[in-house]
Amino acid sequence: MARLSPSSSQGDRQQTDRFDLSALFEFSNIVNASLDLNFILGHFLLTIMGKILSTRGIILLKKEEEKFAVKTTKGIHTELLNTEIVCKKIPQRIVYVQREDARKYPWLKLFREQGISVLIPLLVRERIFGIAGFSPLQKIKKLGQKEETYIKSLANIAATAIEKSLIIEEVKQVNRRLDGKVQELNTLFEMSKEFNAALDAERLLKLLSFSLLGQVGTSRYFVCLKKERAMQVVLSRLQKELSPLCLEAISTIQQPTLIESLTKKPYKVFCSMLKDAGVQVLVPLKIQNEVKGILGVGERMRGGEYTQTDLEFLSSLGNLAMISLENARLFRDAIEKQKMEDELLIAREIQKGLLPSVLPAIPHYDIAATNISSKQVGGDYYDVIRLSETKVLVAIGDVSGKGTPASLLMANLQAAIHALVPLGLTLPELSARVNDLIFENTTSDKFITFFLAIIDSETKSLMYVNAGHNPPYILHKDGTLERLDKGGIIFGVMKTMMPYEQGTAQLNEGEALILFTDGVSEAMSKEGEELGEPKLEEVIKANATEPAEKILNEIVAAVQQHSTGTTQYDDITMVVVRGI
Amino acid sequence: MSDFKLNVRNINDIHVVDIKGYLDAHTAPDLESAFSKLLDDKKFKIVVNCKNLNYISSAGLGVFMMFIEEVRKNSGDIKLSNLTPKVYNVFDLLGFPLLYDITQEETDAVKKFGA
Repeated sequence: MARLSPSSSQGDRQQTDRFDLSALFEFSNIVNASLDLNFILGHFLLTIMGKILSTRGIILLKKEEEKFAVKTTKGIHTELLNTEIVCKKIPQRIVYVQREDARKYPWLKLFREQGISVLIPLLVRERIFGIAGFSPLQKIKKLGQKEETYIKSLANIAATAIEKSLIIEEVKQVNRRLDGKVQELNTLFEMSKEFNAALDAERLLKLLSFSLLGQVGTSRYFVCLKKERAMQVVLSRLQKELSPLCLEAISTIQQPTLIESLTKKPYKVFCSMLKDAGVQVLVPLKIQNEVKGILGVGERMRGGEYTQTDLEFLSSLGNLAMISLENARLFRDAIEKQKMEDELLIAREIQKGLLPSVLPAIPHYDIAATNISSKQVGGDYYDVIRLSETKVLVAIGDVSGKGTPASLLMANLQAAIHALVPLGLTLPELSARVNDLIFENTTSDKFITFFLAIIDSETKSLMYVNAGHNPPYILHKDGTLERLDKGGIIFGVMKTMMPYEQGTAQLNEGEALILFTDGVSEAMSKEGEELGEPKLEEVIKANATEPAEKILNEIVAAVQQHSTGTTQYDDITMVVVRGI
Repeated sequence: MSDFKLNVRNINDIHVVDIKGYLDAHTAPDLESAFSKLLDDKKFKIVVNCKNLNYISSAGLGVFMMFIEEVRKNSGDIKLSNLTPKVYNVFDLLGFPLLYDITQEETDAVKKFGA
């Protein structure tokens, strides 16, 4: 049995030494076998308390430079746990609290207050990373040298074990943080995959909800997107709605932001509204650096503040969703555009149907006509109507504007002509009626340039009215070009006040009448130059002796050559009648 | 095409949802509609048996979060049982053990409802 009395015999002393050694060995085995920091600290305290008969024990471990926190206590109120104090210049030896200078070591106060009189530094590689304190029952001024050595040995063994368990603890924490990161990345990966596959906004927002709920762990969130200029809420699980003014204000935020930090104008006034709605973080959703939407999230159900890393995650997730939402929108637009193009195609087909499919034949004349439509639906119109064995009506017109309105008006014109022609009106009468009809049925910014003529194969002549249309040409035998420009005002601008003037002209054998629209004379080159009438006249003259079809084809070829490398903007429409 | 299956059975007034396979963004809507239906039918005592659940993603976890508030508002709960270590790890990483009652065995979860 070990006694610490000066009268111990030599045998007793040897026995004590053996006891101490085996106790050290046992202590070392126990603390090194454990990885549990609290167990090691507790066991260390209890072992020393037993050895020096102390009723209290405390251990502080270094948190950062000169800062130590209480980790374990025995016989002392546990409320001291985790208390932090600043300890400077800790001596690398056993410290007897009462004998030290309170001014030199102000941190000794904590130990004095707890009745701790002996401090043992915990050292690894001569660096202090902790302090253990005790209160021996006996008011000893100093432990014996043997005891000091023994306690130091215990402290050294404990220090190594503590350090090891701290490192392992840290590794565990690092691993857990890594696992958390991997989980975040998995979520981003999963979402980017799913977002890409989802082409409707509803499914995208559902997916976003799932990950906000699951990964972020919040049940309060909202997403709003910029529609035209205003922000529109497309997904919301908030306690209260946000006002349009609030949405507008927060749409100027450029970085992921905690609501708490919105202390400046213009955001400050909306802080309480956002908090009432349960929002804690706002994340701008950007496409090419422009804010296109906002993601807001509320508190996390499992608790914990949002860290910078969390904000980064929210930003990544939100922007992924934003890009996919934008793609979904573009996809929808493309489909709609396709649908519109399909409809236009149908409109064009209908319009083509309004043009004569077979040209009527009359004696002594050879007739050719064409309409090459541009990409858009245009409003060009031509017609050739047989009136009798010897008479034929030819017409050409160009409705202002493009697209469906123009094609509708063109259809109207076609119907009016076909309805009125059988009435046997004179050309000026017919023109006046059609003009009035068009004027009544359209606004004044819609108009039609029109030319119509009746060709008589018996007299080899024609009567015509030109209502503001590019004057057709007659190429005479002597090589001169006559321009047919008599008539009156274009159709649809005003009611007929002045009767249309009727012109006449000869169209003999070997002579040609050429009707065209401005798609021919004003065809643009790549450089932005019009084909022009001089060029048109040149082509006509060069083909003076050719049949109607050939003249027409040569003009089309000239137009197309002139426009090489451009998109055909306007319809190319022509009628050629040649005397044979 | 999805590798996810679920089945609902009841033990008295407690509804046990057996889930099997992979619960991810793709299959989450299946579980969502199952929960929706239970809630529509005013069944608020729910145990989800995850014995055959091989994988869960955060989107899958989202489904549990989606309904827990309403269920608890109606004095019910969604309890989870029989999680494999791999699945539990995901729950743990995302802090779910703080929010949900997770038991080893289905019978423990059922017992906790006071059945």
